[in-house]
Amino acid sequence: MTASPSLLQVSPSDAELVRRVRQGDLDAYGPLMTRYRLRFGRYAYHLLGNESDAEEALQDAFTLAYRSLDKCRHPERFAAWLFRILVNRCRTAGARRGREQARRAPLEAADGVGVSHPAEEAMRQEELTRSLGRLVPEQREAFLLKYVEELSYEEMAELTGAGESALKMRVKRACERLRHLLSESDAI
Amino acid sequence: MRSDDRSPLAEGSEDPADPVIERLVARLREPVSLSPGVERVVLERLRAEAASGAGQSEAAVPLVFRPRSRRWPALVSAVAAGLAAAFAGGVLFGRWSTRPPGDAAGVRPVEFALRTPADSAVALVGDFNDWNPGATPLRRASDGVWMVTVPLRPGRYRYTFIVDGTSWRRDPAAPRALEDDFGAPTSVITIAQR
Repeated sequence: MTASPSLLQVSPSDAELVRRVRQGDLDAYGPLMTRYRLRFGRYAYHLLGNESDAEEALQDAFTLAYRSLDKCRHPERFAAWLFRILVNRCRTAGARRGREQARRAPLEAADGVGVSHPAEEAMRQEELTRSLGRLVPEQREAFLLKYVEELSYEEMAELTGAGESALKMRVKRACERLRHLLSESDAI
Repeated sequence: MRSDDRSPLAEGSEDPADPVIERLVARLREPVSLSPGVERVVLERLRAEAASGAGQSEAAVPLVFRPRSRRWPALVSAVAAGLAAAFAGGVLFGRWSTRPPGDAAGVRPVEFALRTPADSAVALVGDFNDWNPGATPLRRASDGVWMVTVPLRPGRYRYTFIVDGTSWRRDPAAPRALEDDFGAPTSVITIAQR
């Protein structure tokens, strides 16, 4: 079965949607957000460790992007531009929350709060979240950008402002730490 | 973002493939579906702003220098007031501005300052640096005053400070942003068109 022309036409490009929004069509921003909620929500969730903070960061990033849309010089690369804003928002959210609080998962585990889900799968997922949460924020960011979002070190350097060698070291240390943490659990 | 079928650990010889990390990465790449309410909240927020004209009223804040004698040591206030008098020209400082006029594009150096007993670091985040906490660190001046100068075009910017990487601090000498909607205290600065 082939897609009808009408179906193809209902998926305008990012650049087209950006153009409409810039012309005052706020409704055109909805489809843009929907595209990237799904795509970028994963990064925010894993970096911040819970849905609530991830949704807040995503909302903030979308709002900032809308307000700054005239600064998006290459609308066809809206996704990369938006992702940069989200990465920065996630960093800021982590700073605001504080490093100790950012490692909420292990604290919850110590209190017995974080294992409230009875399903084994949910517990494994929480174990993964706890492991990621025990990385320092810079290592967690680098690990996710490298292996989950599949960026090159060059792209990561451009995105974060850190040097490539520093990023490689962060990824290396993140892997070492995760390997150690996960070797003591059966979550993987 | 790239999508190819390479092993996620194939690149970078500093970290050889490891089955534990491979399995972790595979799990982390699974989709995470956040609530569609995200879009609804943002659209409602933006529509409310448009309806209320948020952002317009604060732009009308008088562009005058306001001495900060209650917040700053007398010497600092005197210097700031002197600079303002010398360069009075329609620039509102985010917490003091006062440099000579900028370039043809209207870019002005704007000095931001915060007095705080921070131990390690103070950063400035705002609309002008994509809220990146690593982009604009302040330097420690003296007597607990941290400062940084940022070139800004005429316009309206929201900003705040991050102290020691953990605490948000609104500029006590600047108007609070009306759309202070990030759950964090935010100030606003308006750079006038000359």
